[in-house]
Amino acid sequence: MDPRTCLIVDDSRIIRKVARRIVEDLGFEVDEAADGAEALTYCMGVMPHVVLLDWQMPVMDGLAFLRRLRDLPNGRTPKVLFCTIETRADRIAEALSAGADDYVMKPFDGEILLSKLAEVGAVQSPS
Amino acid sequence: MTPEDFDRLQTLLATRAGFRLTRDRMHLAEHRLGPVARREGYHNVEAMLSSLWSKPVASLGWAVIEALLNSETWFRRDRAVFDVFSRELMPALTAARPGGKVRLWSAGASTGQEAYSLAIAALEARADAEIIATDLSRPAIEKATSGLYTSFEIQRGLSARTMLRWFEQVDEHWRARPELRGAVTFERANLLDEPADDRKFDVIFCRHVLNDLEPARRARVLDMLERRLVDDGCLFLGLDERPEGDSIAFRPVAGRKGLYVKAPSALRRAA
Repeated sequence: MDPRTCLIVDDSRIIRKVARRIVEDLGFEVDEAADGAEALTYCMGVMPHVVLLDWQMPVMDGLAFLRRLRDLPNGRTPKVLFCTIETRADRIAEALSAGADDYVMKPFDGEILLSKLAEVGAVQSPS
Repeated sequence: MTPEDFDRLQTLLATRAGFRLTRDRMHLAEHRLGPVARREGYHNVEAMLSSLWSKPVASLGWAVIEALLNSETWFRRDRAVFDVFSRELMPALTAARPGGKVRLWSAGASTGQEAYSLAIAALEARADAEIIATDLSRPAIEKATSGLYTSFEIQRGLSARTMLRWFEQVDEHWRARPELRGAVTFERANLLDEPADDRKFDVIFCRHVLNDLEPARRARVLDMLERRLVDDGCLFLGLDERPEGDSIAFRPVAGRKGLYVKAPSALRRAA
């Protein structure tokens, strides 16, 4: 089976590094993008299986990226999980209705991310 | 904490709670007892324990026990179990039971995530489920009853959609909505005690409890679970827990991890 791929979209290099370590441990091949525009260019080339998406970023924010992604051919295939410090219920609802598969509030850990990825069917997991 | 203190803690946990406090938890025990000592007004853990050994006070003893129990849990832990329950067991039981009422027991419920996961499944299926959840730890039951979880706890196992549907945001926390809280009855109970009533259940969830019990107490708990389960009922254990060495009352269901039904021998005995 081809390795599963995950695109981490976050303007913080440190967050990308932390998230990369977690998803690599879950067996994903990881690429990174520093904002929504960079991520969109990436997805036009090759669709990842999973996108971990920050909300507030320069150039193009997470929500704008998500809406553009879902309009691309095959743009509905990636599982998109917001990973952001935004924790208000109405903002979470907004992200879900824009097409996010799930939503992770920062801070999070490997257990939380694993359970979210299992919930959207991106990993097989007994937990 | 001295090795003698730890020996006495092991005895305390074993006799009162049937809990096996393994030696590798010594450091953890010291760490967990610090806040208890401060709350109870002792200078440090040693002072609290020496007072407890010389003049055993029940309330202090229980505060120490409760701090040392393994309370780890999360929503939809071992998710396959919840899928089997909501896709197969609950529809079958709803159809088979008079009035469609299904009785569930979360035994060793800790802070309530398992019971609320069951309640969400029942409410979303519009099933009529009566859910009792018990735990030895009073603080755990109080937290479960409050239905209040940190954003760390609420995310572990719950999708954001389910979280928004069944919990409301209260500052930095998430609280089970009244409809959800009303679907579960939480009670403090010790699995080692004789049951205070003779309620029977269609499905019992006693997961990640047996492995923490003193081996000598497992048979007694399994026998009690067998008595509380209707003859055609189901028992869920943790995925790595096996009753075989301790009890012949249950047999595993092939292809359904963690699921047990009464063994023929247990049914004959009841007949």
